[in-house]
Amino acid sequence: MNHDTRRTGSPQTMTVHVETRQTVARRTWRRVAGGTALLGGALLLSSCSRNSPQDTWKPKGDSARKIDNLQRPVFLVAGIVGVIVFLVVGYAVTKFRDKGQPIPKQSHGKPALEIVLTIIPFVILATIGAFTARTIVQIADTKGCEMTVNVTGQQWWWEYAYPATAENQKYGITKPIVTSGELVIPAGTCVLLRETSRDVIHSFWIPALNGKKDAVPGRVHENKLEADAPGYFAGQCTEFCGLSHANMRQWAIALNEEDFATWVQNQQRVATVYAETDDSPEALGYRAFRQNCSRCHQVNGMQNADGTPTIAAPENNIVAGSVPNLTHLMTRSRFAGETFPLLNKTCTERLTKAASEQLGAVYLEGVTSDCLNRTQLEAWLRNAPGEKPMYVKPDAKGLLRGMPNLGLSEKQIDSIVTYLQTLK
Amino acid sequence: MAIIEQPRTNVALPAGTGAPALVTPKEAKGMFARPVEPKGWRDWVFTVDHKKIGIMYGVVAFVFFIVGGLEAMLIRLQLAAPNGKVLSAEQYNQMFTMHATTMVFLFVMPMASAFANYFVPLQIGARDVAFPRINAFGLWTFVAGAIFVNLSWFLGGGADGGWFMYAPNSTKMFSPGHGVDFWAFGLQITGIASLTGAINLIVTCINMRAPGMSLFKMPIFTWMIMVVQFLLVFAMPVITVALFLLSFSRGFGGAFFDVKQGADPLLWQHLFWIFGHPEVYILVLPSFGIVSEVLPVFSRKPLFGYKFVAISGAAIGFVGWGVWAHHMFASGLGPISVLVFSMATMMIAVPTGVKIINWTLTMWGGKLRFTTAMLFAIGLIVEFTIGGLSGVTHAVAPSDTQQTDTYYIVAHFHYVLFGGAIFGLFSGFYYWWPKVFGRLLNERWGKANFWLMVIGMNLTFGPMHIVGLQGQPRRMYRYDESNVHARFWNAISTVGAFVLALGILCFIVNVVITHRSKNPAVKAPLDPWDARSLEWMTSNPPPAHNFDAIPTVHELDEFFHRKYAVDHETDEIKQIATAEQIMAEQMAHAEKDIHLPSPSYWPLVVSLSLPIIGFGVIYSHILIAVGALVTILGLFGWSMEPSVATKDDYEPPAPTDDAIKELTA
Amino acid sequence: MSTAAVAEHGTSHDDHGGGHGHTSTGLSNNKLAMWLFLGSECLLFGGLISTYMLYRGRHVKGPGPDQVFSIPYTSVSSFVLLMSSLTMVLAVAEAQKRNIDKAKLWMTVTAVLGATFVGGQVFEFTEFYRKGLGYTTSLFGSSFYTLTGFHGVHVTVGIIMLMATVGMLKSNKVPGDKAEVIELVGLYWHFVDIVWILIFTLVYLIPA
Repeated sequence: MNHDTRRTGSPQTMTVHVETRQTVARRTWRRVAGGTALLGGALLLSSCSRNSPQDTWKPKGDSARKIDNLQRPVFLVAGIVGVIVFLVVGYAVTKFRDKGQPIPKQSHGKPALEIVLTIIPFVILATIGAFTARTIVQIADTKGCEMTVNVTGQQWWWEYAYPATAENQKYGITKPIVTSGELVIPAGTCVLLRETSRDVIHSFWIPALNGKKDAVPGRVHENKLEADAPGYFAGQCTEFCGLSHANMRQWAIALNEEDFATWVQNQQRVATVYAETDDSPEALGYRAFRQNCSRCHQVNGMQNADGTPTIAAPENNIVAGSVPNLTHLMTRSRFAGETFPLLNKTCTERLTKAASEQLGAVYLEGVTSDCLNRTQLEAWLRNAPGEKPMYVKPDAKGLLRGMPNLGLSEKQIDSIVTYLQTLK
Repeated sequence: MAIIEQPRTNVALPAGTGAPALVTPKEAKGMFARPVEPKGWRDWVFTVDHKKIGIMYGVVAFVFFIVGGLEAMLIRLQLAAPNGKVLSAEQYNQMFTMHATTMVFLFVMPMASAFANYFVPLQIGARDVAFPRINAFGLWTFVAGAIFVNLSWFLGGGADGGWFMYAPNSTKMFSPGHGVDFWAFGLQITGIASLTGAINLIVTCINMRAPGMSLFKMPIFTWMIMVVQFLLVFAMPVITVALFLLSFSRGFGGAFFDVKQGADPLLWQHLFWIFGHPEVYILVLPSFGIVSEVLPVFSRKPLFGYKFVAISGAAIGFVGWGVWAHHMFASGLGPISVLVFSMATMMIAVPTGVKIINWTLTMWGGKLRFTTAMLFAIGLIVEFTIGGLSGVTHAVAPSDTQQTDTYYIVAHFHYVLFGGAIFGLFSGFYYWWPKVFGRLLNERWGKANFWLMVIGMNLTFGPMHIVGLQGQPRRMYRYDESNVHARFWNAISTVGAFVLALGILCFIVNVVITHRSKNPAVKAPLDPWDARSLEWMTSNPPPAHNFDAIPTVHELDEFFHRKYAVDHETDEIKQIATAEQIMAEQMAHAEKDIHLPSPSYWPLVVSLSLPIIGFGVIYSHILIAVGALVTILGLFGWSMEPSVATKDDYEPPAPTDDAIKELTA
Repeated sequence: MSTAAVAEHGTSHDDHGGGHGHTSTGLSNNKLAMWLFLGSECLLFGGLISTYMLYRGRHVKGPGPDQVFSIPYTSVSSFVLLMSSLTMVLAVAEAQKRNIDKAKLWMTVTAVLGATFVGGQVFEFTEFYRKGLGYTTSLFGSSFYTLTGFHGVHVTVGIIMLMATVGMLKSNKVPGDKAEVIELVGLYWHFVDIVWILIFTLVYLIPA
C-alpha cells in the first residue's frame, strides 16, 4: 500500500530534528569500558590476592585440579568474549552517536551474518561442552578409591565415621572410628566419602580438594577426596541448613602415611576411667562430665559409678539424634561444629602456617595445655546458644537442635574443662 | 468496536446454526449494578482499565522494590565486616529469604506486569485486554498476596528458608514459625494473579491485534511479553504443586518431605527449579523486550534481526524448560543427568548470545541519541553480558560445584537480574514515562540516576565475583578470617550498595520534581523520542479508549513508517509527516459508539477473600470457611453482574475540529 | 483500507461499532482462555501425578495400594465418569442446534453422573481410611489423597459450573452466547475426565 495516500500532512520532506537534550554521550563508552576493565582487573586480582583459606582457584588435590584445569580456560574464553563484546559496544557507541548524520537505512538485518554469529557461540560452547563432559565423567568415577569414610551432616556439624571395612583395615582401622568436624585422611590416597544427613540438606565442601556434594537425608552420595600432600584445608557447609548455617564449618587434614597411622591408632584408644574414689581434679571433672554431659556426648570407655559403660542417648534429646563424640576432643583444632578454635591464636597460626612436611607433627600434638583456647571453651560451657545460635527451645517431642545452656556453675565449668583436656 | 466481558459473536460455531445470539449492553443480564463513573479513589479501586491497572501494578511493585532494597541494605550492613552484629542469625536468615522473595515475586514480576498491562494493548492497537475484570482481579490478588507474605514480619517473623525453600529445612520440624506458611500461601495467591494475568495477556496478544498486525509485525516488547506469559501459564502450576505439597506437609502432616517415611527431599528441588528456571526468563525477558524497543528508537534503526530476536526469545522460553537441574549440580544427581543438563545449559547461551549480538548490531551504523532510557539499555547490554558469561562458567558443571552457593553465584544473578531485568525496567521508566504521565522525566537527574546505578551495581556485585571465588559462601550471617579473607571486598560491596541506593533515590527525586514542576518544558510532546511503534500514535497519556481510531498496520514499526519514507531520488530517508499530523488524521476518523467495560466491585471482593483463606489455613479453620464463602459470593456476584453499567455506554468525546487544527498548527 | 488488511491477516470477529476488525485466531477469547487454562492444569496434574509416581512403592508403613484398592468398584465409578463425558458431548451438540432445553437436560444428567463419581470417591476414601490409610499414614496415603483429592475438587467445581449454568439458562441469565458457555463447561469437563483416565490407569491399574 502506498504510504502517501494515508498522509494528511503535506508530503514535503522536513529536516530531521536533532536531539538537543543529550550532552553526556561523549565519554559514555570510555566509562563503560573503564568500568568493565576495572571489573576484569579485579577478577584477575582475585586469583593472586592474599591466601583465602577457601580459595577455589588453588587446587591441592586431584579432583579440584581437574576442575581447575577446566575452569581456567573457560574463564579465559569468557573473558575474551566479554572484552570483544565491550569493545564492539564501545566502538558502536562512539562511532555512531548522532552527529547530524542522515537517518540510516532501515535494514532489518542480514540473515547470513545472523547465522554466522549464531554458529560462532555454538561452536565455542560445543568445544567447552566436550571438555566439560570429560571432566564430569572423570570426577564422578569413584573406582580405585582405597578408603571409605561415612560423612553425616546434621545441624550444624559434620560427623565422620571410619568403618572397619577390609579396605580401611589396611590403614589400621580395625575398630570403627567416629570423629567430627575435622576429616583426617591420608595424603595421596583417594578417599571415598559416603555422604548423608540426619536432618536437613547440607553440602560438603573442601574447595582445595573437590567441589561440593550435597548430603541429603535418605540418600547416600559419593564424593571423592584426594590430597596431594599433607595439609590443613578449610571448608564449610554450603547448602543453607537453618539458623547456624554460617557456623557449620569443616576442615580436612591430610597426613602422611606414618602420621595417619599414628592418628588412627590414637583414635581407637578409649578414654581413661577414673576410679569413683579418685579426687584428683581430672577425676572430679570426669564425674562432672558424666553427670552433665554424657546424656548426649559419648566418651568411649567412660563408665558409670556401677562400672557399666556410660552410653549417651542423644536420640532422646536432639532432633538429629546425634551429637559429637568427644573421646578425642583434644586432638582436634576446633570445636562446636568447627565454629571456634580450640587452639589459642599462636597455636592456631602455628598450625595453619605449618609447612606441609611439619603439618603432621604439629597437628598430632593436639591441644596442649599451653595451646588451649580456654576462654572460648568456658564461654561455650557457660552458655552454648549464646555463642552459636541454635534452637534450644524443645519441640513438641521435647527435642532440641543444639546444645542448651546447661546452667553450669563456674566450678563445674572449670572442672569439666580440666577433664576435657585429658581427652586426647 | 467494543470490549465487554462476553464476546457478542459466536465465530467458533459451525456454519448453519443460525444467527449468533448477540447480547447488546441494554439486554445484558445480571443481578447487580456496576459502579457508574466512580470518582476519586473509587475510580482506581473499581477500575478495569488496563492503563490504570498497569499504573497501580507499577506503584505497588515500586513500593516493594524499596522494601526489598532496604532488606538488601541491612544484609550489606551485616556483611560489611567480619562477624557483623547488625542482625542476629535469625533475622539475617529471614532478611535474605524475604529480600529475594520480594525482589523476584513482588517487584520484578509485577513491574513487568505493569509494563505489559499498560503497553501490550497500546502496542497492538487494542482498546483493552481481553478480560478487563480478570485483569483487575489479577492486580488485587497480587496486592493481597504481597501484603500477606509481608505480614509475616509482624506476626512472628518472616520465612527463613531461603527463597528456594528447600525441604526438609522448610518443614514444620525445622521451621516451626509461621513465616514459611505466610510465604507459601502468599506465593500461592500471587501465583493465581500471575496465571490469570498470563492467560489474559496471551488471549489479548493472539486475538486482539490491530488489523494488519501479523505476528511478525508485532512489536518486540509484546513478543517477549507473550513468551513470558506462556512460560507463566506452564510454570506457575508447577510451583503451585510444590507449594501445596509444602503447605499440606506443614499444615496437615503430609509425608511428602518426611525422610523417615521414605520421602526424597530432591522432589522439592525438582519441582521448584522446573518452575524456577523458567522463572528466571520470566524475570528477564520483559526487560529484553523493553530494550529491544528502546535501542531501535534511539539508534533510528529497526531492531537488527527482529525475527531472530523474536524467535530466540521463544527459543529461550522453550529450552528454558530443559535446564532446571543446573541449579542442582551439587545435589547428587547422577553424572549422566549432570552431563545432559550441563550441555543443555550451554545451548541456551546461544539464543541469549544472539540477543546481545542483535542489540549491538542495532546500534551499529545507527544515529545514536544517549537519552537516559538509551543509557540504561546500553547498560543492560554490558552488565547482562557479564552476567551471561559468568553464567557460562557455571554451566560447566564441575566448575559449578566449586562456585555454587558462593558469592560468585550471587554476583552472577545480580548481573543478570539487576544489570538485566532492573536496568531494562528503568530504561522502560524513562522511555515510557511521557506516554503514561504526559511528562518528561528530567534528563539531568536521569543521568545521575543511571551513572550512580551503574557505578553502584558494579561496586556492589563486582567484588562478589572475587569473594565468591575466594570461597565465601552465600547465606551466611557471618564470616571470619578463618574461612575468607574478604574484608576489603565485602566493605567495597557495602559501599556500592549505598551508591546504588543513592542512584535509586535520584530516580525518586526525579519523579517528584517532574511532577511538581510547573515548568511547561516538562510537558511531553506527542512524540518525544521520535518513536516507532503504535503506542505513540495516541495522546500522552492516552484516552480511556486508547485510540480514536484503531490504526491499520502495514509495517513493523508502523508509526515510524508513517513518519518517514525513502526519497527515491536521493535514496535517503526523509520525514513525510509529523506525529501531530498522523494524530490529527486519527482524530479526524474517530470512531463512534465506543464501548468500554464498566468498573466492577467483584474482582476486588474475590481477591480480598484469598488472604482470609490464608489466615484460616494458618490460624483457624473457621476462617477458611469464611474466606471460601466470600470467594463464592464474589464469583457469584461477578458472574451475575451485567456486562456494562446501565446508562454507561462510554462514548468518547468526539475530537473537535479546533483540537485537530491545534495539533497540526 | 482496513478491509484489505483484515482479509489478509485474519478474521474479524468483533464488529460492534467502527467496523475495524482485529487480527486474531478466529477462536473466541473465552475459548482460547479456557484452552490456556487447561494447558496450565495439565502441568498441575503433571506435577501431582509425578509426585505420586515418584513415591509409588516407597511407603514404609500402612497399607499399600494392593491392600486398599478395589479395582472392580473403581472401574464402575470410572465408567460412570466416562459416561458423563458422553452426556456432556450430547449437551454441547444440542446447544449448538439451539435446543437449549435438551442441552439443559443433558447437562443435568452430566452433573448427576459426576456427583455419583464424587460420591463414589468419598465412599472409597472412607473405606481406605477404615483399612488404615490416613492422609498422614504414609507417602502412599499423602500422595494418593492429594492427587485424587485435587481431581475430586476439579470434578466438584465442574458440577457446580454445570448446575450454575443450568440455573442461569433457566432464568435466562447467561450473558453472551449460550452455546459457547456450554461448550466451555464441556471443555473443562472432558479435561477432568481425561485426567481421571490417566489417574485410573497409572494409580489403580498399573501395579507398583
